[in-house]
Amino acid sequence: MSYAYLFKYIIIGDTGVGKSCLLLQFTDKRFQPVHDLTIGVEFGARMITIDNKPIKLQIWDTAGQESFRSITRSYYRGAAGALLVYDITRRETFNHLASWLEDARQHANANMTIMLIGNKCDLAHRRAVSTEEGEQFAKEHGLIFMECSAKTAQNVEEAFIKTAATIYKKIQDGVFDVSNESYGIKVGYGGIQGNATGRDASTSQSGACCG
Amino acid sequence: MIETELHDLSDDADYAASQQQGSQSITRSDSGRRSEPEGAEVVYMKDNVSIHPTQYMSERISGRLKLIKQGDSLFLTWIPYKGQNTNTRLSERGDSDRNNLYTIRPLPLTDVRSIRRHTPPLGWQYIIVVLASGLAFPPLYFYNGGVKEFLTTIKQHVSLVRSADDANVFIVNDFQDPLQKTLSSLELPGVVSVAAQSTNASLVASSSQVNQGRSDVSSYDSNTGSQSLRRQKNKSNDPTKDLSIQVLEKFSLVTKFARETTSQLFGENSGDPFLSNEWKRPSHSQSLPDLQSQPSTNDLEEVPCEVPVPADPMEFEKLALVWGKPRQPPMTKEEWITFLDSEGRVVDSNDLRKRIFYGGVVHELRKEVWPFLLGCYDYNSTYAEREYLRSVRKQDYEIIKLQWQSISPEQAKRFTKFRERKGLIEKDVVRTDRAFSFYDGDDNPNVNVLHDILLTYSFYNFDLGYCQGMSDFLSPLLFVMEDEFEAFWCFAALLERVGPNFNRDQSGMHAQLFALSKLVELSDSPLHNYFKQQDCLNYFFCFRWILIQFKREMRYEETMRLWEVLWTHYPSEHLHLYVCVAILKRYRNKIIGEQMDFDTLLKFINELSGQIDLDSIVRDAEALCICAGETGEACIPPGTPPSLPIENGLVSSQLEDEVL
Repeated sequence: MSYAYLFKYIIIGDTGVGKSCLLLQFTDKRFQPVHDLTIGVEFGARMITIDNKPIKLQIWDTAGQESFRSITRSYYRGAAGALLVYDITRRETFNHLASWLEDARQHANANMTIMLIGNKCDLAHRRAVSTEEGEQFAKEHGLIFMECSAKTAQNVEEAFIKTAATIYKKIQDGVFDVSNESYGIKVGYGGIQGNATGRDASTSQSGACCG
Repeated sequence: MIETELHDLSDDADYAASQQQGSQSITRSDSGRRSEPEGAEVVYMKDNVSIHPTQYMSERISGRLKLIKQGDSLFLTWIPYKGQNTNTRLSERGDSDRNNLYTIRPLPLTDVRSIRRHTPPLGWQYIIVVLASGLAFPPLYFYNGGVKEFLTTIKQHVSLVRSADDANVFIVNDFQDPLQKTLSSLELPGVVSVAAQSTNASLVASSSQVNQGRSDVSSYDSNTGSQSLRRQKNKSNDPTKDLSIQVLEKFSLVTKFARETTSQLFGENSGDPFLSNEWKRPSHSQSLPDLQSQPSTNDLEEVPCEVPVPADPMEFEKLALVWGKPRQPPMTKEEWITFLDSEGRVVDSNDLRKRIFYGGVVHELRKEVWPFLLGCYDYNSTYAEREYLRSVRKQDYEIIKLQWQSISPEQAKRFTKFRERKGLIEKDVVRTDRAFSFYDGDDNPNVNVLHDILLTYSFYNFDLGYCQGMSDFLSPLLFVMEDEFEAFWCFAALLERVGPNFNRDQSGMHAQLFALSKLVELSDSPLHNYFKQQDCLNYFFCFRWILIQFKREMRYEETMRLWEVLWTHYPSEHLHLYVCVAILKRYRNKIIGEQMDFDTLLKFINELSGQIDLDSIVRDAEALCICAGETGEACIPPGTPPSLPIENGLVSSQLEDEVL
C-alpha cells in the first residue's frame, strides 16, 4: 500500500501497563485481555491520514521488564515517535517514567516525539496517579500527554494520531531531513520530496500487516 | 566408454522376483552382454534401487544398479529410469535433468574408497558409496533388497575389507599405488584420507574437517569409561561418521552439479535453493557449506545488488535440500522399555539420547522421559530409587512453597521484593499460553499452579528470582508432568541450564548471542560480513529464539519436540545455536538480497514465527554442528548456557553470577 510517509513508533513503559493492548486496540480496534506477554518486540502497523496524506505507522511494541532493557534499547534506534506508557492504577509505573525517559533520550533520536500515556483510565476507582500529575510530568519534560483506555478505546486513536500529527508538523517545519532514515521516517510513493520519491517500502516492508 | 541403455523393468513382477534369488541370478552375464560393449560383463544388476533427492520419502528416483566387469576392472553404474519420477512435485521442473544429475556413469571401483551399509530398523537398507576423493554419492536405497549380494559380488572382483572400526563400512582397497595402499591401511578409520591429492582445495577442506571429527571420535572411544567427565564433548561415535558422510554426499551432488548442469539449468531454476547450493569456495578453508549460497559466485564481500530471491519462502523450504540424517518417528513406549533393565535403569543413556535426538518421544512418554533428559533423574537410578526420590522431592517442594505461603499480609507489607515478584508473576501467568486449551478459560486452575511454581522457584532460587520468559519454559513442563511438584523439579533442573538467560545483566544472553555471531562467521562469512555492514552483529534479532528456545516460533507440540531434542545434548549442548544458524542460512539469500537493515531484519525474523519447518531445520543444524566440529565448539566460550557446571549436573549448585 502506498503512503506518503512511514513513521516508526516505539511503545515503552513498565511491564503490564497495557502496551500491547494499546497497540492491538489501535491496529485491530479490539481489546484482548488475554494475550501472551511480550518477549523482545512485537510489530503492528496501520495507515492513517494526516493533511490528506496517507501515513503508515509501523509500531514496535517492546517488552517492559527491567531485565530486557539492554536489549530493548537497541529498538529505539531510528524511531520517529514514542508512546511512553504508565498505568494510572499502579503508582510505581509512574515513578519509573524518569528512567524510561532517560533511556529514550539517550538511545533514540533527539527529535523523537514522545507521547506520555496514562493507560487504564477506565479504572478510575483504582486510580493511583492523578491526571494533574501526569500533565505536570509531561510539561516538565516536554512531552505530549493523554490519558487513555485500551479497554474502552478512549483516546487510543487520538494518542497515535496526535503523535503522528506532531511528527508531520516537524517535517513541515523542516526539523527533519526526511531523506535520512535515522529519523524514523521513510518517504513513500505519495511523498512530496521529489528527490526521495520512489523509495517505496514495498520491498522492505513486505508482509507488514496494514490493519 | 560404456553406454548403458535402459529397459524399464521395474513394473515387471517376474523380473523383480528373479532379482531376489541371490547372486547367481543376479549375475546375468548373458543378458548383460547384449547391452554392454564388447568385453564388458554385467556381474550384478538390481532394479528399484532408488535415491531420495529430498527429505520426502515419496520423492524418490528409482533406477538400476549394475556392476560391470571389463577386463580386470570393475565398474559401478546407477541409471535412473526414464520418465519415471515417483510422486514428485518436481516432475514439472524437468526431471530428466534432475535424474541425469544423479546418474552414476561407469565408475571404476578403483575410485571408490569405501561403501557404507545402513540397515535401519525401519525402512529399506541403503548404501553410501564414498569416493577416494572424499565425495560420496547419495544413499542408494535397495527397495528389493540385495545389499549383501552387491557386496559379495564386489568382493569377488576387488579387495573389500571390512573396517575394523565399523562393521558396516567396507573399504575398497584396490589401489595400484603401493604407497597409497600403505597409507590407506594406516588410516583405516578415515574414509577420505586420500583426498589430499585432490587439486580442489575445497575437498581438502572438507576432508580435513572430517578427519578432525574423526580424531575426536577416537579420543571419545578411548574414554568411554569416563563419559560423565566428558559432558562438554558430547560428540559421539556414530552420528559424526554418518554425518560426515552425509554431508559429503551433499557436496558430491553439488560437485556433480558443477560438472553436469548447464547454465541453462541454472537459469531456469535460479529460485531453487538446491541449485544454488554450493560447497565451499576454495578461499575459505575455514568456512562451512552454505546451505543456500549462490551458484558459482565468488565471495560475497561485495553484496550483490541482484541476488536472486526465492519467490515464496514456503515453497522455498519444501524444495530445499536438507542436510543431516533423516528424522525418525518419535520413540514409542515399546522402544522405551527396551532401554531399561529389569530394575528400571537406562542401560545405555548415550543410545537413548541418540534415539530421542533423531525423533523425540511420543507424547504419552514425555512424563516419564523428560525428567531423565533434564537431569532430574540419573540414568542409572532404579525404579525404587526414583520412587523414593519422588517422595522426598514432594516434601521438599511443599517446604519451599510454605516459605512464601506463610507470609502474612502484615509481613508482605514490609516485604517489597516479595510483593513485586508476586505481582509480576500474577500478571504474567494470565498472559501465558492462554490460547492453549490446558490454560484457557477463566479461573483455570492450571494457571494458578503456574503461579505457585514460579513463586516457589523464586524462593528456591532467590538470587535469580523471576523473570519474564520463565513462564514460557514452565508451561509445557506443567502440561507434560501434570503434578505440581514434579513440574517444579523439572523446571528447576531446566533452569540450571537456561537460568542464565534470565540474569539481570543479560550476561547469559549476551554470551549466547556472541557465540552465535562466531558460528555464523565460521559457517557463512558473507552473511557475517553482511550483518557487520548493517551493524547487526549484536544479533538481537535472535533474542527471542534463544531466550525461550524457539517457544514463540512454533506450535506447542513442535516446541515440545524441539526441546526434547535439544535436551538430549546429543551432537552438542549448544545445538540451539546451530538451529539459529540453520534458520539464518536458510533465509540468507532473502536477507542479503533484500538488503535488510536491522529493523527490517528484526521484523522479518519475528514474522518467521510459525513458518519454521522443525525437522528440516534440526537436520540442517545437526549437519552444521558436525561440520563445524571442534572449530565450532571453540567458537562457544566455556560456560555459555546451557552448559552445566562441570562438578555437578544436578539442581543443587549455586549460580555463579549472582544478581540481586
